[in-house]
Amino acid sequence: MIRLTVNKQNVEVEEGTKLLSAVEKTGAKVPTLCHHKALTPYGACRLCVVEVHAPGRPPSLHASCSYPALDGIDVLTDTDRVKRARRVVAELLLARCPDSEVIRRIAAEQGVTEPRIRSKNDDCVYCGLCVRMCEERMGRSAIGFSGRGPRKKLESPFGKHNEKCWTCGACNFVCPVGKKVSVLASGGVPIPILNEYNFNLDARPAVSILYPQAVPNKPVIDKETCLRLNHEVCGICEAVCEAKAIDYKKEDERVTLDIGAVILSPGFEPFDPRIKDELGYGRYPNVLTSLEFERILSASGPFSGKVQRPADRKVPERIAFIQCVGSRDNERDYCSSVCCMYATKEAIIAKEHAGEDLSCDIFFMDIRAYSKGFEAYFESAKKHGVNYIRCRVASIEEIPETKNLKIHYLTEDDRKVSREYDLVVLSVGMQPPKNVDGMAKTLGVELNEFHFCKTSVFHPVDSSRDGIYVAGPFTEPKDIPETVMQASASASKVLSLLHDVKGSLIRPKEYPPETDIEGQDPRVGVFVCHCGTNIAGVVNVPEVVEYARTLPGVVYAENNLYTCSNDAQERIKEKIREHRLNRILVASCTPRTHEPLFRNTIREAGLNSYLFEMANIRDQCSWVHMHEAGRATRKAKDLVRIADAKAVMLEPLQKGSVAVNKAALVIGGGLAGMTSALELAEQGFDVHLVERENELGGNLRRIRYLLNGENPREELKTLIGKLEGNARIRIHKGANIVSIGGSIGNFKTKITTGGEEKEFDHGVVIVATGAKEYKPEEYLYGRDERVMTQLELEERLTQEGARLLEGGKGRSKTVVMIQCVGSRDEKRPYCSRLCCPEAVKNALKIKELSPDTHVYVLYRDIRTYGFRESYYSKARRGGVAFVRFDETAKPEVLGNGDGLRVKVHDRILDMMLDIPADLVVLSAGTVPHEDGKAIAQLLKVPLNQDGFFLEAHMKLRPVDFATDGVFLCGLAHSPKSAEESIIQAGGASARAGGILSKDSLELEANISHVVDEQCDGCAYCVEPCPYQAVTLIEYAWLNGVKKTVDINESLCKGCGTCMATCPKGGVYIKGFKLEQIGAQIEAALQALP
Amino acid sequence: MNRPLSACREIRVHPSLSGEVRNFGKFGEVCYSCGTCTLTCDLTTDATPFPRRPVQFAVLGLKEPLLESLEPWLCHDCGDCSEKCPQQAGPRESMATLRRYLTAQYDWTGLSAKIFTSRGWAIGAPVFAGFLVVLLAAVYHILYAGMPIEEIVATSMGLEHMFGKITWFTLAVIFIPLAVLLSNAARMHRFTMGRGKAAGIPLSVYLSEAGVALRYAFTQDRIAKCPGESFKSRRVKHSALFAGGLLMFVLLAFFLRFFQTDAIHPIYHPQRWLGYIATVLLVYGSADILAGRIRKKEEIHKHSEFCDYSLPVLILASAATGIAVHVFRYSGLAFAAHYAYLVHLVVSVPILVVELPFGKLSHMAYRPLAVYLQAVKDKAVSLQVGEETREAA
Repeated sequence: MIRLTVNKQNVEVEEGTKLLSAVEKTGAKVPTLCHHKALTPYGACRLCVVEVHAPGRPPSLHASCSYPALDGIDVLTDTDRVKRARRVVAELLLARCPDSEVIRRIAAEQGVTEPRIRSKNDDCVYCGLCVRMCEERMGRSAIGFSGRGPRKKLESPFGKHNEKCWTCGACNFVCPVGKKVSVLASGGVPIPILNEYNFNLDARPAVSILYPQAVPNKPVIDKETCLRLNHEVCGICEAVCEAKAIDYKKEDERVTLDIGAVILSPGFEPFDPRIKDELGYGRYPNVLTSLEFERILSASGPFSGKVQRPADRKVPERIAFIQCVGSRDNERDYCSSVCCMYATKEAIIAKEHAGEDLSCDIFFMDIRAYSKGFEAYFESAKKHGVNYIRCRVASIEEIPETKNLKIHYLTEDDRKVSREYDLVVLSVGMQPPKNVDGMAKTLGVELNEFHFCKTSVFHPVDSSRDGIYVAGPFTEPKDIPETVMQASASASKVLSLLHDVKGSLIRPKEYPPETDIEGQDPRVGVFVCHCGTNIAGVVNVPEVVEYARTLPGVVYAENNLYTCSNDAQERIKEKIREHRLNRILVASCTPRTHEPLFRNTIREAGLNSYLFEMANIRDQCSWVHMHEAGRATRKAKDLVRIADAKAVMLEPLQKGSVAVNKAALVIGGGLAGMTSALELAEQGFDVHLVERENELGGNLRRIRYLLNGENPREELKTLIGKLEGNARIRIHKGANIVSIGGSIGNFKTKITTGGEEKEFDHGVVIVATGAKEYKPEEYLYGRDERVMTQLELEERLTQEGARLLEGGKGRSKTVVMIQCVGSRDEKRPYCSRLCCPEAVKNALKIKELSPDTHVYVLYRDIRTYGFRESYYSKARRGGVAFVRFDETAKPEVLGNGDGLRVKVHDRILDMMLDIPADLVVLSAGTVPHEDGKAIAQLLKVPLNQDGFFLEAHMKLRPVDFATDGVFLCGLAHSPKSAEESIIQAGGASARAGGILSKDSLELEANISHVVDEQCDGCAYCVEPCPYQAVTLIEYAWLNGVKKTVDINESLCKGCGTCMATCPKGGVYIKGFKLEQIGAQIEAALQALP
Repeated sequence: MNRPLSACREIRVHPSLSGEVRNFGKFGEVCYSCGTCTLTCDLTTDATPFPRRPVQFAVLGLKEPLLESLEPWLCHDCGDCSEKCPQQAGPRESMATLRRYLTAQYDWTGLSAKIFTSRGWAIGAPVFAGFLVVLLAAVYHILYAGMPIEEIVATSMGLEHMFGKITWFTLAVIFIPLAVLLSNAARMHRFTMGRGKAAGIPLSVYLSEAGVALRYAFTQDRIAKCPGESFKSRRVKHSALFAGGLLMFVLLAFFLRFFQTDAIHPIYHPQRWLGYIATVLLVYGSADILAGRIRKKEEIHKHSEFCDYSLPVLILASAATGIAVHVFRYSGLAFAAHYAYLVHLVVSVPILVVELPFGKLSHMAYRPLAVYLQAVKDKAVSLQVGEETREAA
């Protein structure tokens, strides 16, 4: 070992180490240029000079990169002599390459901005990095120096392009002044490795982290392109990796697992629009797919979220979206279900990113905003100025000079128009995954006619092979919430199948013991998140970090690209240890989504997880102040200061726990309720199924046949049979719920059934209260018996059959169906989703029973999403006529004389059609059940403005309520088909089963705490508590009776109502003490310096 | 569309219409009205959008507007729409079917509807006409001329004897169908121009646009607007066919005596060289169409109905027998010539009495007429617009 001092600090290094490494070990900084960790020292630039004091020798200057560390020497890195020498070096470098950004920066660091000597304007600094790289690492020697002194020149052997160079680009990559050395060597520039994650819109290295949120968040080596793996050269990453984490010898492993069940979720393949030559994708650079555009819009995408054209980076002024690319044509007779909404979303986001002046036109045939909240989103997009044009675009033409694109289209009244766009986005549809046929064969599962996985309406997560379940777009194109529901539903199936071995592979997580911080001064660590450009695009993050360093108690602050990423968690833990931090403050997004993650992180570092505070500088700052960067930065600082005021006062808290009652209450005995009851029972839990009517089945009892020909009556009978035969299920028919008390794990419910009152305990609740068909008031309904709803028609078609349709004397009858009755209007603005498939189903039934009967369907948008589209095609092929009307011109039903007449304005023909009708069928919408309100109050869960239950998160938590232990499925959530109800019911059972599987539950720590000394038992807080968690108690104390209150910890939600009502400071919420909140308010009122 | 709804035309719907139309051939009801067809068509204008509009008339049962529309005749069958149609609904075939439907509607006798909707009638009618020719010849000789049976055979079916008197028969065969065709054309005019704004168009406008009809009939200029190289040559071929047919018709109608004779004409005689030209044009045109329909290479020839085959076959057969008569006559084989002439009549008469007034050949009249009437309409509209702007000024 060699011992020396650097700036008077003792250092120990191994023999053979260069001075530079020894210096760096002490944390001292020395500028370098020609130095590279993976290359031999060169000592060419002399920028890294240090002063060496060797015993018995005069002090001398040496290049630290090449001078060896010697025993007993003293090294000084920052003397005036050193600085002077570096300044001269910097001046010479700057004189040689005054145009180089890197050299200018290096010179500026040494205090040189203008050299005193004449500039050479060279494009090479003679650092030799490229030469060494090519020789040492690539083994090619395709470039070198010729001549000496003033005649020294970087060139290839004999000054000719040579075949030794394989244009790997390492020389270009390492050159500090940005010279294209490879051009000199072989005349070529390397072909970039395209970044698949950004759909090849930008390039990536051969070793990279694939995307910012990758799990695990580690770089991987691309086996295809890595030079080390393919040619045994390079190996730079191994040389520079401090952690010595690179292992080129790693091989693929073949792993064999013993498993009891398989869930298939291979996803989908986006349609390749190259097949549709007329749209020009692949030929015109400014025609993109929607997924490519999605990446462009993303903060972590190729242009950091700026809306730009890929080829020339021009900011577009007009964007066109073209719908149904690879959907709804004769080869793909299905609708991809998601494109209408994602195009709408992309248009809105593009306008947000690029400004309101960006014009977005969406070319569509029918807007399929059929799911919960979609119609409202579509309406809001129109208000945002997104322009919808009803036309299928036949072809796109490029204007060669501008690379703009011309779209010819047909207006609704048949006029040909053309418009020019800067960018065209093709809304590509979903296709089955690549090689799906081979995969299906390997797995032994059947595919349907569209090559998606075959399932059935009543078994929507079962593949054709036992024990193999499916989820996601692999069964049918679908969006996020439905994928999440189906994933949970397949999990429920697995839970049932494997319930004997459930939990046997779980290894409980082990945490280090908690550090005792009692008596320590606060040492706050602040982590400010860029969130890609979500925050950093508006707020000046480094400035916020700088400011955070000045705040009381803060001993460390830094910024991260994504503070929630895996590597950032490691960093937080490292900094906690390094700086002995005892409070952590993260300034990023919302605690609702990310607090648990950070709490877990600091717990892993040994801190109590409540020593954590969060400032929301995204949702509450950068998102809402998008256009006021300066003021947003000030506000971010305010928010951080306020959070810090509380952070310094945080105390460690402990969670309580509560035992779980392993039974479930399912409210509603319709298809969804029955399914979830059965699934839970099959998972091994007791279920109370409560139905208000005297019979199970709900709306399913009124469904006589399905689009695909399955028989719902049979299935209903089987299902009821299974329920009644299951010993774990207690069915309470004709029942009313009187009260539901308690909370997750321990509910107590009182019901009345047949005049009798019953009470039972359960750990979870599933709400499946259903919905019903709207009873129309319009179109002569109820005043003319020939006007009926779709469900009424279905019943009559089943009972009367073809008799209903017989015209007599060779005359054919005409049936007119009217869509959107009680849907998509002012009173009920949502789409009822079921009615379009229902109308198509009944129209096909009519044509099946009596092919001569004429059927007209008057619609606004036909929303036969997914595979329902093929039945819409079938109906048209069968002669069902479809007439579109506008919401501003609803049809009119007239009932004078013998026949009915329906008048409707056809937009394409601009004619008022007067249709003689024998039957008018109204596609009445779905409306929530009136009982919903009462149930919502009993459970304290919210309804949305349409009266349907509101889930915890529209996309990611579609079966949960924000209230723990309460779940949702079926029509009570939103209108949906039998298949979708079954899926959601399965999803709810999986989520509920997750809770019931546990023996006890951890409780929140941020709950009410009584300060007995200050409580005088006035009981002001008892009544206002919304969770009935507070009770007045008395106990004997000092020969008297002391009154005080007691908190039920499993009921308390920590809402703080008690604390607000208490006049004496006798009760507080842990983590929200009066002084903590007071400090925050004071901090909020402080002015920024 | 800023017009109030009350101002738009109210149409009584005939729900059975689409079923009726479907009897006339392939009809793409699977259409979801996306408009790709109209968008791809180079012949449509904002005033006459097709195929979507007329197809929708039929799909929805709007009989009146369908009868009024000239659009089906303005289409020249390039088939681009059928190629691009995302539903493969075959708009080109639908337009052809609409033309057959309209032909039947124009025809007051009702025969056209029978021929287009029933294979039995489509075959039976020309066969019956041919049979009548033979019967007429026999009846003439036995009853009118009083010839014994053996003499009929000896005088080659008696045609030789009949030649002098056959002129009136032939003229009847030519002019009666022509009269029916003209009366149907008059009905077409009434349907399409008889109501609405088109009703009051003054005669001067009709006269001013007469040139359009002639130019179209002889040059088929609209076909040139169809895309693709094949349509350049198709225009020439179709013009040739039209010219050949018309020439032959005029020769037969007005110079019949040059044909119905045993006289030998010198080569410079108009009967000979005009006849040769007409024959060559007819044979070339028909053979080309028939070959195309059998090869099914181009979109236009991919989907053919019975009448699309029967017409060129009849014309080719007629030409072949005509050529045979000619060759026999000039070779001095009188008997053979006379027998061949009988066969020629059996084949040719159905073209004139069935195909021309009731069958596919009627489009020879309807298409130019439709182009002409549309030109008249367009002219009237432009005049009206001009007047309105003047008034406004």
